[in-house]
Amino acid sequence: MTRVIRLIVNGTSREVEIPTYRTLLDCLRYDLGLTGSKEGCGVGVCGACTVLLDGKMISSCIALAVFADGHAVTTIEGLADDERLHPVQQAFVDAGGFQCGICTPGQVVSAKALLDAVPNPSDAQIREWMVGNLCRCTGYYKIVESVRAAAERSRA
Amino acid sequence: MAHRIVGKAIGRLDGIEKVSGEARYSGDVTLPGLVWGKALRSPLPHARILRIDTSKAKALAGVLAVLTARDLPNVLVGRRMFDMPLLARDRVRFIGERVAVVAALDPDLAEEALALIDVEYEDLPAVFDPVEAIKDGAPILHENPGAYDGAPPERPHPNVQSVLRFKLGDVESGFRAADRVFEHTFRTQLDHQGYLEPHAGVVAIDEDGRVQVWASNKMPFRLKELLSQALQLPPEQIRVNLTPIGGDFGGKGSVMDLPLAYHLARAIGRPVKMIMRYTEELMAGNPRHPAIITMRTGVSKDGHIVARRVKALFNSGAYAAFKPAPSVNLGGSGMGAGVYRIPHLSIESFCIYSNNIPCGHARSPGEPQMVFAGESHMDMMARELSLDPAEFRRRNLLRDGDLLANGHHLEHVRASDTLEAALKASHWSEPKPGPWIGRGAAMTHRHIGVGFTNARVRLETDGKVSVLIALPDTGTGAHLVLRQVVAEVLGLSLDEVEIEVATTDDFTTDSGVGGSRVTHTGGRAAYHAAEKLKEQIQADAAKLGEPASSLAAIAQAAAREGRTLEASHFYDAKVHGAVTSFTAQVAEVAVDPATGQVTVRHFTTAHDVGTIINPIGHQGQIEGGLIQGLGFALMEEMKTEDGQISTLSLGDFKLPTIQDIPPLTTVLLEDPVGPGPFNAKAIGEGSISAVAPAIANAVADACGVRILDLPITAEKVYFALKEKERRS
Repeated sequence: MTRVIRLIVNGTSREVEIPTYRTLLDCLRYDLGLTGSKEGCGVGVCGACTVLLDGKMISSCIALAVFADGHAVTTIEGLADDERLHPVQQAFVDAGGFQCGICTPGQVVSAKALLDAVPNPSDAQIREWMVGNLCRCTGYYKIVESVRAAAERSRA
Repeated sequence: MAHRIVGKAIGRLDGIEKVSGEARYSGDVTLPGLVWGKALRSPLPHARILRIDTSKAKALAGVLAVLTARDLPNVLVGRRMFDMPLLARDRVRFIGERVAVVAALDPDLAEEALALIDVEYEDLPAVFDPVEAIKDGAPILHENPGAYDGAPPERPHPNVQSVLRFKLGDVESGFRAADRVFEHTFRTQLDHQGYLEPHAGVVAIDEDGRVQVWASNKMPFRLKELLSQALQLPPEQIRVNLTPIGGDFGGKGSVMDLPLAYHLARAIGRPVKMIMRYTEELMAGNPRHPAIITMRTGVSKDGHIVARRVKALFNSGAYAAFKPAPSVNLGGSGMGAGVYRIPHLSIESFCIYSNNIPCGHARSPGEPQMVFAGESHMDMMARELSLDPAEFRRRNLLRDGDLLANGHHLEHVRASDTLEAALKASHWSEPKPGPWIGRGAAMTHRHIGVGFTNARVRLETDGKVSVLIALPDTGTGAHLVLRQVVAEVLGLSLDEVEIEVATTDDFTTDSGVGGSRVTHTGGRAAYHAAEKLKEQIQADAAKLGEPASSLAAIAQAAAREGRTLEASHFYDAKVHGAVTSFTAQVAEVAVDPATGQVTVRHFTTAHDVGTIINPIGHQGQIEGGLIQGLGFALMEEMKTEDGQISTLSLGDFKLPTIQDIPPLTTVLLEDPVGPGPFNAKAIGEGSISAVAPAIANAVADACGVRILDLPITAEKVYFALKEKERRS
């Protein structure tokens, strides 16, 4: 069974016909061609598929696309402003907050959501908020640094 | 020597696409007409396949093909020893082995089709434990393993894949000269590399009949060779297109699903994508070998090691196919000698077949296992000898001219400096801040990797220099390192040097990524190519005289004459040099006596390093490896019962999170004597192996219990504390 749904993806209205079993992640990646969000664990644990649904973080690998019908979805592709990286993205580059990059879209989206909610987080708040985003490369130290630097950059 | 760009803390300018979401990994590759492949896996550890009925699956709308072993040529695949069928033929040997494969219009349909395939099995006796597997009468995994291509000749039992030996002196006479002899046995767990990108690949057959491959594989040229063998095609008919790799840590070097994707693509005439689910990674990836390691060491009255015998049993699982070394064993076994001068040494390492998941290489293969055993053993002996563990180590550390287990001698040995630096930074000799708090030290060292890399540098007509390289980006920042090296040699700024990622059509060979080699071999290839280009530029500039105001002008003048200024270099390092890198680490832990929970309060890591080319990337390797080591020490375990892994998701198989990282002090002893460009050394595998024993030693120091098997969970510490209480 298929259904037509309408999503506001990164500010643009998109209509797509999908099978009802399609996850939001697969819909973004394969129906809409936005492959920035990644599937790691596939069970909502690793955070690589993190997107914002009406501004709130969700694991898109365990959300059905039909449930997002009529809602706003922000993905990693929606963060940069034209050619200019979002301050969080720039901070991850400058501080070395990624290596292989597969978890990075999720990390960056989560960090953006954190700074939207808590503009000046302590290290403890950063670690508490980002606990749902696994990274196997960095050992996390430079992710903490990146988020801290992004907060400072956003304040400047 | 002062450098302009080498040594500068430049951020990850090579990864703008990774933060913007534009980077295209293998799983992101899409092509017109692309369809999905999925494999059906065995639910039994050892069974005969009596019948496979694919008719219902074939009848499902949207399913394009269903293949079983009967539809495929009877070839065996591997990385060095070729013992694994593309699909199980008549018999399955582990839970997770591929039995059939389907192609469908979308991945969900493909999975639905798998559920419609009916397979009738007949159970066979199975063996799971490596000790049981090499007893007389044990179920035999492979009737004639010696007949497989690449099989090592020595085989004391049909379930032995390979034996690797290291020998120094005469170990029997060494033990006769010892005053005290200690023997301990250690166990380490089955552990996944934990990359978050499951294996992914796309195979397409283009109009010219060429096989186009996009794969999360770190050795493109070796992959081309292996696919040529697996697909029975001439190598020139295959092109491997490089993509970024979402984490490797040793695990991304095999053909994995690619031959199946090829056969599906051939059967249906459309490109096929296969991505393993993480559950499939955990049941049928190629994880780190679990080990049982017995160490026996003879020590003289004055605390000098005189002899050591090490026996390691690695539970390799159902196939040897994932091990790439000619020994078909784990080179890390040589680390049974640790960082110590041991005049009489014998190490025997056995890789053993069993009805478990086949194991492969993981970051510093064999070393975390061996170093956990060796460095725990050191502390246990120090305690018996009433010596401070640091002092016991001091008396036995390697010095210049000493031999490693493999018979290579060492130079520029900084074992002692590295240990002292870690002790000082960790306040080793100061009183501990409270009860139930302990400190533990551990050491290791690692070679600077060898291999062969091609690089081609070219002066473009816009004045920029491009570096063509066939090393895939596994995330280490190697491409940025190469840019820094070339910019340094040519006197350019970083943004005047660009990386161009090659395909396997652009060069004839390359050893790819792995074994801590890339900064060395890729760096030297790029360095020498840049030196050659520099000579050409200087010669052209001299010819042009005054008008040669810029590199662009030189390139354009050459272009007008139909010339391109470019140079290539093939750098080939065959043997490990006499220089290694030492690591000394100190963990400070607190043990909660009520629960057994271990908290790492502080961690100190000291490294004897070469010239650091990019401090951010360098530190990133140290931190990432260290936290992998912490996961190995405290939480990671693929729990297995009768061949069935019960931790089949990242919710059950625990990787460290951002909340698990301890406060960290890093000490770098920079000593520009490495073989890499500008005397760099390697760092990628230096920080992982000593973490577990440092923590185990700290736990013993904190609460008097010795955990001999990893991971060191709260339960193990709790019950060990209870046992200790009961006895006292």
